[in-house]
Amino acid sequence: MLTVTLKVNGETRTAVVPPETTLLRMLRDQLNLTGSKLGCDVGDCGACTVIVDGKVVNSCLMLAGQAEGRDVQTIEGLATMDRVHPIQRAFEDCASLQCGFCGPGVIMSAKALLDEIPNPTIPQIRDALGGNLCRCTGYVKMIEAILIAATAMRGESAQASR
Amino acid sequence: MDKDKNPKVAEKVSPVETVLKEPGILHEPVAAPLVTYPIEVVIPKARQQTPAVGQRATRLDGRLHGLGQTGYIDDMTFPGMLYAKIRRAGVASARIKSIDTSEAEAMPGVMAVLTGKDVPNNSFGPSIKDQPVLAYERVFHAGDGIVAVAAVTEQIAAEACQKVKIEFEVLTPVLDPLESLKLETPGVHAPSANIYQKKFIKKGDVEKGFAMSDHIIEGHFTTQMVEHVPMEPHATIAMWDANGRLTVYSTLGRITLGRADLASTLGIPISRVRIVATIVGGNFGGKNEITTEPVLALLSKKTGRPVKSVFTRPDEFIASTTRHPLIMDYKTGVTKDGRIQARKLRLVLDGGAYCSWSETTLSKACILSAGPYNIENLYAEAYVVYTNKTMTGAMRGFGAPQVCFAYESHMDDIATLLNMDPLDIRLINAFHEGSISPTGQKLQSVVVKESLLRAAERFGWNPKGSTAGAGKILPKEITSGTTVRA
Repeated sequence: MLTVTLKVNGETRTAVVPPETTLLRMLRDQLNLTGSKLGCDVGDCGACTVIVDGKVVNSCLMLAGQAEGRDVQTIEGLATMDRVHPIQRAFEDCASLQCGFCGPGVIMSAKALLDEIPNPTIPQIRDALGGNLCRCTGYVKMIEAILIAATAMRGESAQASR
Repeated sequence: MDKDKNPKVAEKVSPVETVLKEPGILHEPVAAPLVTYPIEVVIPKARQQTPAVGQRATRLDGRLHGLGQTGYIDDMTFPGMLYAKIRRAGVASARIKSIDTSEAEAMPGVMAVLTGKDVPNNSFGPSIKDQPVLAYERVFHAGDGIVAVAAVTEQIAAEACQKVKIEFEVLTPVLDPLESLKLETPGVHAPSANIYQKKFIKKGDVEKGFAMSDHIIEGHFTTQMVEHVPMEPHATIAMWDANGRLTVYSTLGRITLGRADLASTLGIPISRVRIVATIVGGNFGGKNEITTEPVLALLSKKTGRPVKSVFTRPDEFIASTTRHPLIMDYKTGVTKDGRIQARKLRLVLDGGAYCSWSETTLSKACILSAGPYNIENLYAEAYVVYTNKTMTGAMRGFGAPQVCFAYESHMDDIATLLNMDPLDIRLINAFHEGSISPTGQKLQSVVVKESLLRAAERFGWNPKGSTAGAGKILPKEITSGTTVRA
């Protein structure tokens, strides 16, 4: 058994897992963070997308042991007690999600994009969502929402730096 | 949204429109100039029933989806819960000679093993009850489940499945639906015939219609098997309470039907069956019937603990229902000015290993097979046949998308043959108010032609000159070259 200690959404967490456990399974089963979803378990669908040390990752392709000491951000870490994250707000306003299963993965991909490129073009958004499959929506409203969220987030950081 | 303003006249300003000040910003660069049109607020004139029409609404589940808080079945756990995996046949057609589960049962962590002989009534189905809960004597497709194992972890269950020894007598599978259609081909479900349902529509006299035609054109169309690929795989949890009542949490869509199927396969009164469904991660028809529910119920009964099973993505492709492939042969007689005189067609549906929703699909495909066109003389025959392939069942459209592909492609071919505009030929033949459908129904509220014309205007259909797909479609008014006769 492997003991893994890492930071998840700003909190230090520890879990004891068999060594072959993936980061996805550890998050869902041991750490009770079921927001990241299991869609294929082979890195094709992106439903398990999380952000590890600032980089977007298919958590089903990362071993729990590889996350030792790292900084992991999941969908559960976006909203605060004060407010829903601008990306989540935009997805809600634009009705970007239908069944919602791909949602956490898409939103994390969007977050990673906007953290790196605050003013993305549509091709850049499409590229960022390239690893996330959605069977319900057709992606158009997700792209709209990300554009709106980008504006909101630029506004927020302008406020913060004042 | 200002609630005091009269919603019928208030200007609808949505978040999207405030940010996107330039029209067409979301469109990719196109060769032709963009056609822009105002987003009109529809103010209902007649029967002004509800102020909600035309208003922007927020989906009730949007907030939880975005937060990642929506609870799907796989997100649920219960104390003492076990995990089940199913060993699948991996061969298209076979007789099962023996099943040896002793090595699997001896593995530490394995709590129960189930085969078809443990199932009280080992067959179910929405119409023909030809589908086994677990295949026991015969295998009809590679995804047939044979043995189920419940263990303390998913991994132990999967390993135990591998340790089960199954001896097959491999049989020759029937894979081609046209082969299956022939009477001399051995029955997949012998002694039942391979053609397990048929439908015929006869209107007027096709031979007379063909005699009156200037041209007769034939077309052969096929569509392929399609898998729904819902992002959320099938997931089920089963448990019993102290009063002998079964509770099943499932991604199943038709839970009333599910209760009936569980009651009949388990041999218990339907009042003892409770199914809880929740937000599903995509269905599209693939979650319309039970899959592992009876298996998990029996495993739960054997172990006295809740049992969960989630399909792997490969399971989704081989063990869940798919869209029927269709083989469609059309023969249409037209006058030289494009009026259809007669249509004769045959549909062959690949019905897979089990009936599932094939009867509904056959029915719908056949009724819609002639297309939305006035045809006085029609003969449609449709058959669904067994093959040793993945079960074909419900998928959005139930046969309608497949025949639509055929009759519309056929219409384009006829237009090409007659050197006519594809829009014109449709306007000449399309249903209008009061048209009689192939099955004798008088149609009301028919706006086919109006819709076609409005759409053509909106995206700039050029009746003369450009061929479809050339990319040089310029906005142009529709001239009166299209004389529409109701």
